[in-house]
Amino acid sequence: MEKPFILHMLTTAKNLSPFDVNMAMDAGWVSALPYTNVEASEIQGLVQDAIFSRSAKNLKRTGIFIGGRDTKQAMDMLKTAKRSMVPPFEVSVFADPSGAFTTAAGLVAAVEHELIAKFNTTLEGKNILALGGTGPVGQAAAVIAAQAGAKVRIIGRQIDKAQHIADMCSNELGDGKITITAGADADKAEYMKTADVVFATGAAGIELLSAKLIASAPHLKVAADVNAVPPSGIAGVDAFHNGTPIYGSNSGAVGIGALAIGNIKYHAQNRLLKKMIDSDRPVYLHFEHAFEVAREYIKLNA
Amino acid sequence: MVKRSILHMLDPMPNNSPFDINMAMDAGFDVLMPYSNVKLDSVYRLTQDAIFSRGPAGVKRTGIFIGGRDLGLAMDMLDASQQAMVPPFEVSVFADPSGAFTTAAALVACVEKELKEKHGKELKECNALVFGGTGPVGIATGIIASLAGAETALVDHLSIDTASDVAKAYNRRFGCTLKGACAGSEADKAKLVVDVDIIFCAAKAGIQVLSSSVLKEARQLKVAGDVNAVPPLGIEGVKRGDSGIPLIHAINAQGAVGVGALAVGNVKYQLQNEMLKLMLKTDKPLYLDFRAAFNKARDIA
Repeated sequence: MEKPFILHMLTTAKNLSPFDVNMAMDAGWVSALPYTNVEASEIQGLVQDAIFSRSAKNLKRTGIFIGGRDTKQAMDMLKTAKRSMVPPFEVSVFADPSGAFTTAAGLVAAVEHELIAKFNTTLEGKNILALGGTGPVGQAAAVIAAQAGAKVRIIGRQIDKAQHIADMCSNELGDGKITITAGADADKAEYMKTADVVFATGAAGIELLSAKLIASAPHLKVAADVNAVPPSGIAGVDAFHNGTPIYGSNSGAVGIGALAIGNIKYHAQNRLLKKMIDSDRPVYLHFEHAFEVAREYIKLNA
Repeated sequence: MVKRSILHMLDPMPNNSPFDINMAMDAGFDVLMPYSNVKLDSVYRLTQDAIFSRGPAGVKRTGIFIGGRDLGLAMDMLDASQQAMVPPFEVSVFADPSGAFTTAAALVACVEKELKEKHGKELKECNALVFGGTGPVGIATGIIASLAGAETALVDHLSIDTASDVAKAYNRRFGCTLKGACAGSEADKAKLVVDVDIIFCAAKAGIQVLSSSVLKEARQLKVAGDVNAVPPLGIEGVKRGDSGIPLIHAINAQGAVGVGALAVGNVKYQLQNEMLKLMLKTDKPLYLDFRAAFNKARDIA
């Protein structure tokens, strides 16, 4: 008899996100079990408990999901989980803290698609401002875009914090192979003069980019906003925009709203959760893989 | 319509063990519900909430599993749960904290089998050391071996007081006759193993308990069993899947054999699986602890 699919869902928070639970069930996992308030030091024990209770064959029907809120912590947990495997006792692990990795992947893939479709260019060499970029989605989006060749600047209200996050993104998430810079929110008018792309990943209900700054940007091509709650993070971009021209842009920029990004995010997360089930060998999935499947999804559905 | 089977998994720890979850699912329970940070005084109420909501037919499709890392607490919880039953509203309860009961039962049963086959001896004719003896698996191993008649000592790697306190506490509780011992260094171990018949290695994963130099000191060792499946393994020269193979490094102990972690693990796996299935099959409620586990493990081994 085939054993049921079990996904062990670990989070550092006091509860799982119901979003992730629904996604896991809908991707085909039969049972999704919560492990909450998990600390980094517990990962090895939990992983080894999970791998030594099923045969190598049935471990293909077993997986571990890592949630939480912190990108670096989730990546560290993913690495620890991988190191804790004892082949052939090994299972797939997928990290997506706060859904940030798949949301960021959806955001960057949607932006890339507009650059290709409307401006006949790519992310390579583009100046990107990640407004409100110090949170998990901003961090992951900055790293994904930088890995695709863009020059990314994380903008925050406090330059010290933004700088610290930018360094963490370059050195930890990006393994030291990318360089992400930082800037202060107060200086964003200056940065908009050279910006090709804007990501808005701030808290819901805060306008990060005004109509005036949009009008002042001579090179702006795409502005994407993950916030679905009015007022939108970017003036003139609403949740339903999907490559829609931004009213008042003098450079012909288009906007991407939260629903378009959310749709790609949904499919990316679904594909990665299914990949854990379908893969013959254990896979260790994070933002890079999220970006791959987000691109695939857009290619097939554009 | 047949009701789905539900296993309520009570755990005093912040989280259930993924091991138990996999096992319960694979034994055929349809729905698993984790309850974490459970205190002893909530067990009565949780049990009654579980038994009064499904009717006399439904309770047969319902079970309670007690996990955690503390043996005594798990046994207290098992008692508390049993006392909360109101026949015919009654469900089966299985205590296996950290899988310690089934692991220990499997370990002792595997060693007992080799002892009989290779040396024609019974547990009650032997003395035994349990390394990692103050952890959950070690304590359960000690209790089972002691109750089966082996003169058994729990070995702690830091403190003789810890080992003796643990031994006394469990002697009072289960009527066994455990002693405490301490081995912090290779030299300590070498001294302890000189005249021992059986060695159980129940230390943490990834820790080598018996090196070749310690094994060399053993003069009357007959069987050594290991539960550590993470390299380095517990006994030098014994591979995970080995079962009853000669201990090549125990050059002064004639005919000594070793049992590896996967050999024990296979019995443990079958054992836990059968005990969970038993909860689903049984007509009258069962209360399962390490004693039930050892009886069954002997059949399996």
